[in-house]
Amino acid sequence: MNQSILMRAAFALLGTIAIPALAAAQETPLTIGMSTTPTTLDPHEDSSAPNNATSRHIWDSLINLTGKSANAPELATQWKTVDPTHWEFKLREGVKFHDGSDFNADDVIASLLRAREKPSQGFASYTRSIAGVTAKDPYTVIVETKVPDPLLLNSISRIRIISADCKDAPVQDFDNGKCATGTGAFSFASYAPGSNLTLKRNDNYFAGPSHWSGVTLRFLPDDGARLASLLSNEIDIIETLPADGMARVESSGDLQIINGQSSRFVYLGMDVSRDASPFVQAADGKNPLKDVRVRRAMLMSINRPAIVDRVMQKNGTLADQFVAEGYAGHSGKVEKVGYDAAAAKALLAEAGYPDGFSLTIHGPSGRYVKDAEVLQAVGQMFTRIGIKTKVEVLPWAMYSDAYARGDYSVYFGSWGVNSGETTNPTVAVVATRDEKKGTGRYNGGGISDPQIDEVLAKASSTLAEAEREPLLEDLSVRTFNNLWLLPLHYENVVLGAKKTVAYTPRGDKYTLAYEVKPAN
Amino acid sequence: MVTSIIRRLMQALFVILAMTVIVFIGVSVIGNPVDILINPDANQAERARVIAHYGLDQPLWKQYLLFLQGLLRGDFGDSFVYGRPALGLILERLPATLELAITALVIALVFGLPLGLYAGLYPGRISSRIIMSGSVLGFSLPTFWVGLMLVMVFSVELGWLPTNGRGPTLALFGVEWSFLTWEGMRHLILPAFNLALFKTSLILRLVRAGVQEVLPQDYVKFARAKGLRESRIIAVHVLKNLMIPVVTIIGLEFGSLIAFSVVTESIFAWPGMGKLIIDSINLLDRPVIVAYLMMMVLLFVVLNFIIDVCYTILDPRIRLDAKA
Repeated sequence: MNQSILMRAAFALLGTIAIPALAAAQETPLTIGMSTTPTTLDPHEDSSAPNNATSRHIWDSLINLTGKSANAPELATQWKTVDPTHWEFKLREGVKFHDGSDFNADDVIASLLRAREKPSQGFASYTRSIAGVTAKDPYTVIVETKVPDPLLLNSISRIRIISADCKDAPVQDFDNGKCATGTGAFSFASYAPGSNLTLKRNDNYFAGPSHWSGVTLRFLPDDGARLASLLSNEIDIIETLPADGMARVESSGDLQIINGQSSRFVYLGMDVSRDASPFVQAADGKNPLKDVRVRRAMLMSINRPAIVDRVMQKNGTLADQFVAEGYAGHSGKVEKVGYDAAAAKALLAEAGYPDGFSLTIHGPSGRYVKDAEVLQAVGQMFTRIGIKTKVEVLPWAMYSDAYARGDYSVYFGSWGVNSGETTNPTVAVVATRDEKKGTGRYNGGGISDPQIDEVLAKASSTLAEAEREPLLEDLSVRTFNNLWLLPLHYENVVLGAKKTVAYTPRGDKYTLAYEVKPAN
Repeated sequence: MVTSIIRRLMQALFVILAMTVIVFIGVSVIGNPVDILINPDANQAERARVIAHYGLDQPLWKQYLLFLQGLLRGDFGDSFVYGRPALGLILERLPATLELAITALVIALVFGLPLGLYAGLYPGRISSRIIMSGSVLGFSLPTFWVGLMLVMVFSVELGWLPTNGRGPTLALFGVEWSFLTWEGMRHLILPAFNLALFKTSLILRLVRAGVQEVLPQDYVKFARAKGLRESRIIAVHVLKNLMIPVVTIIGLEFGSLIAFSVVTESIFAWPGMGKLIIDSINLLDRPVIVAYLMMMVLLFVVLNFIIDVCYTILDPRIRLDAKA
């Protein structure tokens, strides 16, 4: 079951393209305005997006997860499966840590095991299948998995490789710089928690030194502050350009808007299991959401292009399934449901609700792009076809466990599909809830479709890409042709930047200094 | 004096204890921190392990007792989010907040006192009227709006001052201060003015009202009759007598500058305690919330005590022992 030679050749090619022109290196620093604040520099403490994006500057992983969620070589130059539960990774030779020490298999073993054993369990979901890590020789590592795990490469791409000397270091040692030495494109200079991180270029970076002589990551969660810093020329590129600032940036001669699609999928989840749902009052006393016709009518009633265009001010892209075209598991067989209020009303009548019903829909506020506003718009559109809808938004701290528990009838959900394929959202959001198997954690609607569970189990243990791909597509088809979830949109990545820099946004929304290029 | 101090300390301890109970119950009602902290890809077993790690699998009363036990050793527990001791996190941010608060207070005093005195002594003049109307604006304009306007005018349009952030720091007494460097000062100006605006107006109005109350008093007339210089009358007889309410307000406002400068800290991305506590509340980081609130209770108790001491200096008729 070895990986095909063709595949490896493709990766090797990718690796060479990634090397930038060496001659371009100059004494130009770069300042990035981040919209979120990392909690620590310790790369194994907590696997949140701000922490992982920050640690990516200092440390490398075995596998480089590209902006489109593909696995490319990084500290590992090639890999293969010896048998379904043993993976062999060849390590890159001649790589040095920022302190001058050599990188070898000991560091890999220390890092993978540290991520697995950390009491905070931040990386548990990525290390759960790792049974053991051993070194065959100083530059070959064998990873043993408990079960065949097709997502192992993706999981391993999340785990940064630290020096084995730091494997027992506490969080503090990373924040004060003592252990903030990686093999990455930038080395640690100073860190002021909650304020900024300054980095120096690593001139010996294996993929070639960065264009930027130094990088400052400034943590500016306040929209106004971030925008002001860009407008006053203090910062080269900012994340999550606030919608109110777009006109200002557009009209400026020196600034530009960089827009790209992310892999964050936004949907409406609904109670499809209970016979009487807590926030639905229908004339017949039943739960109309169990009827696929009602769900289809609801989706037809939502003018999604208008929501993306107006409410989200083009900060989103229409979605019909978990992943967009080009990602593993996108299927052309998913039926697209367009906006048609008249047909929606007719379908609702056909399902036995000519006068509609009453409904309260719930969502978080300030967690996702324009979440409360989108929900308001959806509520009004439901009301237009006769479903009298009330909208309730809550702070994320209160909403997050309530929706997962299944407290609501219709709720606003979102999933960042960072693995770039469909088993990852299916396991958490659609699969039948099962504590033992660890499935359906966020299945707040009580979806239970045995066929999906079966396909999912098969896809989760199939290593051969050719066999796996149709299964991944099947998951999309079964989820969205049954409308277990109502797909809304993918969030966009919107950055504001000086015209002197160029950047291709990533699906995971990270802003990585190494990938920021000078424009010319 | 000593008994009064001890009594006050006992009161403070009781308030702090009550605070921990309230916060413990409050935070546990809002939601489960684990749901916010955990990687969404984690499955149920991994979730259970994290819950056990934070001790959240225990009943609330047991968690509380464990917390009190740690407290006796001076340990507030590790932050759920930052994985470090909560108290250390707060103390790390304290200098930034402290220097912002002190600068703002100094600005408020430097402008508020003389302007208030002037407006009180010469209420009829047009300049006094302008000062008073200005103070109404200072009162009523929302801090966040003023902050954004300051940034727009002085940073974005004129480009004189940096938009936000804290400048480079220098160590003094082992603590990093930014007002010791030129860049640091430049970063400090806008947030400090923004924070000081409301306080300036407050002090100004208090002083003006005080002056107008004191001026018609017999002892002022007597001092004038005695032929004392006007400057001495104002400095000794007027100012000293109107200071009691002003000192009270300054003390309490200083406390609120430290504890609640969240808005200014957010707009100016100032890495102080206000930002830390807001983040912690959003993430339900209980150890940090509890440690922060306890520190604030302590701060207000200490400030109140200092205010009382100032009273006795300003007005010998007030005895500390007799009060309380």
